[in-house]
Amino acid sequence: MGAVRQANAPLMLGAAILVAMLLLGIGFSALFGLDPHMGHLGARLAPPDLAAGHPFGTDQLGRDMLARTAAGVVWSITAAGCATLIALFIGTGLALVAAELGGRVLVVVQLLVNSVITLPGIVIAVIVTAVIGQGWLPIVVTLGIITWPVFARVILAEALSLRARDYVAAARLLGQSRLKTVLLHILPALKPTLYVMAAFHFADMLIAEGALSFLGLAAPLGEPTWGNMMADSRPYVFSAPWMLLAPAGAIIAAVIAANLIGDGLSRAFSDGD
Amino acid sequence: MQASLRAAAKQTLNLAVLILVVSTVLFFLLRLTGDPAAVLAGPDATAEQLAAIRRAYGLDQPLAVQFFSYIGQMLRGDFGRSLATSQPAIELVLASLPATLSLAGLALVLAFLAAVPLGAWIGAQKEGGGARVASALVFILQGTPGFVAGLLLIQLFAVELRWLPSMGLLGGTSYILPVVTLALFLMPKQTRLIAANVAGAYRQDYVRTARAIGAGKGAVLFRHVLPNALVGAIALLGAQAALLLSGAVVTETIFGWPGLGALLLTASQTLDFPVIQAIAVVTALLVFLANAAADLAVFAIDPRIRDGLGA
Repeated sequence: MGAVRQANAPLMLGAAILVAMLLLGIGFSALFGLDPHMGHLGARLAPPDLAAGHPFGTDQLGRDMLARTAAGVVWSITAAGCATLIALFIGTGLALVAAELGGRVLVVVQLLVNSVITLPGIVIAVIVTAVIGQGWLPIVVTLGIITWPVFARVILAEALSLRARDYVAAARLLGQSRLKTVLLHILPALKPTLYVMAAFHFADMLIAEGALSFLGLAAPLGEPTWGNMMADSRPYVFSAPWMLLAPAGAIIAAVIAANLIGDGLSRAFSDGD
Repeated sequence: MQASLRAAAKQTLNLAVLILVVSTVLFFLLRLTGDPAAVLAGPDATAEQLAAIRRAYGLDQPLAVQFFSYIGQMLRGDFGRSLATSQPAIELVLASLPATLSLAGLALVLAFLAAVPLGAWIGAQKEGGGARVASALVFILQGTPGFVAGLLLIQLFAVELRWLPSMGLLGGTSYILPVVTLALFLMPKQTRLIAANVAGAYRQDYVRTARAIGAGKGAVLFRHVLPNALVGAIALLGAQAALLLSGAVVTETIFGWPGLGALLLTASQTLDFPVIQAIAVVTALLVFLANAAADLAVFAIDPRIRDGLGA
């Protein structure tokens, strides 16, 4: 631990991009007074024009594309972040329990991991939206419960190999309880893996949320999310290409930033060793 | 040999248990969602119409009876009839399979053919400027979600330049944009893995030895460095094939592609669960086969694994 002290270029650049996007997303409507939901039918499908007050143009209802893209930042980053945390906690928790108890519990968890990976994610998304409706929370829950096996698989393998190490055996022989051994000796050693995986998982969740929104399975219709905006742009590919370019650019920037953080973290940890 | 037979038998047993668990979970999850008879009958149906539909599809039986008859039929390869079109579900799935498999197969081949030379070249450079630019480009490509790349490609090649068709499957040129979209999604990860493995291999003693005894640059690369770098890439290829089969939904939607993903999306939206079940089982089988094929390829390339020496 403590290896992250060595801040490196990719890590800083990625974090800077994400922080800047978040600040823009939170502060935008307050600063410029543009409402992402408010349309002006007189200014439908207006091309990007700084003088007219629409630097990214407007959509089919005359809503400002910059305001909508900025509002999408908050939706996407919080949804992807929370989905990552849910997947991390479920996956790591189940993996640690399975590795510690072994036997039948291990077999059941492994079967669960393989089953959830095999289940088609779209079906789960449709079922969740049918049962609890569309919105931010349903999409976060869906992404979390579809993707926790990603963490469980890796952490299970690492925890099993850590259990066989001498220092863990020593802790056990000294009479330390199972819970304490896991929390004090196994979990800390998993931190580098967890940080790096979380960063890359966050990138994957940004993409998955965008894709589900695009398919109309995540965000309610009309909500300013990047996926919704890209779906809105499809009938206007000929007349208003800016409707695609603004949200596409935003999601690419966010995913690249998350990948930079992941690369930077893994470099920081491998330098520390 | 006996050990590998036993391993194969164990894998097959795992697959059977997995398919059983997935089918069970899906069956109960889908019944939780709503009444398929109501979906079938539409909003204006009378009570008698609903009852008739339930009788016709066996939905009036107790849930346990429905479940066991479903599992029994599934073991005989019968997934029931689609609630939407009344065709056998498995036939619908098999009919849309070629479109998805050809798309996925071509994309995997294209991505691999691009990733091997590019990855080898980036990995072989020490700190060259060209390699840096190339790896920055690969990094940006990796940050571009597949469906966003697809939309941008349509905008450029179908809308602005009007060179290529963007919707449906109407002949060879229809393949170009969706194949390139999927390949662009697969290629960056492979390139980066191959580049890292190639760079790592050049630092190994056996490569230094080969160089020291006077082996040419080409011989070192093709005989010593690449085979080792490719082992990991082929394992990744298996995982990516699995991802393509279950994750092609958005790409197929964007390009109006008549494949498994489009079928799954429609079936999900109409709660057509015989079709969903059939897709889930067929996909699980294909994912298993893709991983097994990758294992076999690694087995053939890596003498340590083939001769049972190493891990």
